[in-house]
Amino acid sequence: MSRWRTLRFDFSAMASPCSLQMDGRDEHVMRRAANEAMAEVQRIEKKFSRYTEGSVISRINQSAGLAAIETDTETSGLLDFAHSLWTQSDGLFDITSGVLRHAWDFKNARLPEPATLQGLLPRVDWQQVERHGNQVRLKQPGMELDFGGFGKEYAADRAAAVLQSHDIHHALVNLGGDLHALGERGLPELQGTPWQIEIQHPRQDTRQTDTPLALLTLARGGLATSGDYERFFIHEGQRYCHVLNPRTGWPVTHWQSVSVLAANTTTAGALSTIAMLKGPDAPAWLEAQGMRYLAVQHDGQVLRSNAATD
Amino acid sequence: MKKSNINGSQTATGVLLASLVLPGLAALAAITPLGAAAENAPEKTTIAIKYGHYNDSQPGWDRIKVDAAQVYVQAPIAGDWSIEASGVSDNVSGASPRWHTQNTALSGASHMSDERKAGDVKVTRYLARAAVSASVAISKEHDYTSNALGLDARWSTDDNNRTWTVGFGSASDTIDNTYSGGSTAINRHKSTNEFMGGVTQVLTPTDIVQFNLTRSLGSGYFNDPYKSYDQRPNQRDIWIALARWNHYLEKFDASLHSSYRNYSDTFGVQSHTLGLDWVQPAGRWTFTPGARYYSQSAANFYLDPILDAQGQYDQQAVVARANKLYGSNQSTDQRLAAFGAITLSMKVSYAFTPNTLADVKYESYRQTAALHLGGSGSPGLDPFNANFIQVGLTHRF
Repeated sequence: MSRWRTLRFDFSAMASPCSLQMDGRDEHVMRRAANEAMAEVQRIEKKFSRYTEGSVISRINQSAGLAAIETDTETSGLLDFAHSLWTQSDGLFDITSGVLRHAWDFKNARLPEPATLQGLLPRVDWQQVERHGNQVRLKQPGMELDFGGFGKEYAADRAAAVLQSHDIHHALVNLGGDLHALGERGLPELQGTPWQIEIQHPRQDTRQTDTPLALLTLARGGLATSGDYERFFIHEGQRYCHVLNPRTGWPVTHWQSVSVLAANTTTAGALSTIAMLKGPDAPAWLEAQGMRYLAVQHDGQVLRSNAATD
Repeated sequence: MKKSNINGSQTATGVLLASLVLPGLAALAAITPLGAAAENAPEKTTIAIKYGHYNDSQPGWDRIKVDAAQVYVQAPIAGDWSIEASGVSDNVSGASPRWHTQNTALSGASHMSDERKAGDVKVTRYLARAAVSASVAISKEHDYTSNALGLDARWSTDDNNRTWTVGFGSASDTIDNTYSGGSTAINRHKSTNEFMGGVTQVLTPTDIVQFNLTRSLGSGYFNDPYKSYDQRPNQRDIWIALARWNHYLEKFDASLHSSYRNYSDTFGVQSHTLGLDWVQPAGRWTFTPGARYYSQSAANFYLDPILDAQGQYDQQAVVARANKLYGSNQSTDQRLAAFGAITLSMKVSYAFTPNTLADVKYESYRQTAALHLGGSGSPGLDPFNANFIQVGLTHRF
């Protein structure tokens, strides 16, 4: 064993900047672990992306209204998870709602034609997803599944699991702002201290400063942030963001951003998205889930969990 | 070493339980995230981290170490300084695409899209007294291609009293929106070279100063191809100077933290940021009132909105003016306007034990054109106000 060192690997995946940071003493092991973790992220992206020709999701979507598609245990597990999110969010988290994207043109800042939106809404319905064992069928033509709501977060957890399997115990995985901390810092001078995480300010452009919203320390677990600034346009003074309510097809407006801490990133990500969708009910709901959160309301007011200060 | 500050007892409910069934996730299972108890405004943390760092290496140095530094150094991250993250944090959580455009110093990519293909690798090597990083980045979108490389290093003297930082970055971008149906940018190029140097010095047992200088030279296409009539100069050179000084006043048993940042570029934008914090320990309490002032001038070619007789935005007149000026530099981007801002903050913290702290921070931010230094700023800008309150608990071990 040689001296302690930190390695940081920056890479791109899922249309986002990503990084792996780890403290350790065996550089060979660290590099091998990092390569495998990056490969795992790429595997998940390829397998579940709706853009990849031949991906599980593409095949399911292409067969909408037609045949059932045979999938595997992992896909099935994620669909179970999606089902559980749908139930626990009273239908707000619906992985069939991605189809609404066709009505919203964020690049050209155009509001959708009411008829277009109305035409798409009937295709949003998790209950129209038929499952038998590992077989999946979308009942209506034009329906689409989209794992965008938790795919990146799941990949962050899986990457952390890969690092752990290589005996890496001091690492931080960041996939485009969704983080998993796998143990505290390991360098002797930092041993036992948690990672420092900046929470981005949702209105950084307006504030003209680099000041983040908050700084959080995290030694173990997942952190994810959903915001109305990820993709949006402003039309006649009103902001339209990419988080769409599956019932109305319109963007949510109550929160500028919601950050959630949970035992894993998958949970944190799902909860932050559901919180965005739940609007004013989100704090009570997150408290009931026993989760720590930091949320910025539409008027800039910052709310945080009671648990976070205990 | 194991952490001991597991917070409260929480039950895993619903969503979390469902996630634990996913392959591999149960192996990671901590039922609650650890070490997520505290928050701090990191602006002051940068230098405070140096406090902690130097303190560790200078056992004979008292007072500040015991009192002031303790408040700030919630979790020392000495040895983990990286340019992209401004050296403040290990990482950023946020909605991803903007994080990328805002914080990646070398990347010019501003239109994150689903079809983006990119590869970039950076490896940082931390040594006993130094850290070296090298990076390359290639990013391709249908309308934007960027190639960048970067090198940076920092090292400390044997006594840890001085830390040097140098960095170099170079980026070459191509903008072409013909594939996305545009015709405003056809095979346009932009290249940027950035040089940064800095030094942090312990001057006396009561003074630490830090100075950073950044020079960025950019040439090529700076317009926003998706904004009508947006035309900017093809050269943008930037100077950024940042100075920080932390001074301990024995008479008051207090520290004064001050900082000044000066930004100027050849677009004509000049900005000043002045920050002051007074850190006053009083027994187990520490009071930190602070103030920050920001002012920026407008770019030479920024155009104010035109208002009609009723004071309403007159779009026709704006378009007519834009047509008249067609061919010369012009932009209506608000970020190029003149305005100013003031932040007032108050932080109170209480130490239960030397290792367990609670704190409350209130921050009030006011941004208006009228606050612009020595003048009224750009007309027609909406003022922006924000209030923040933060509470936190820190436990060190």
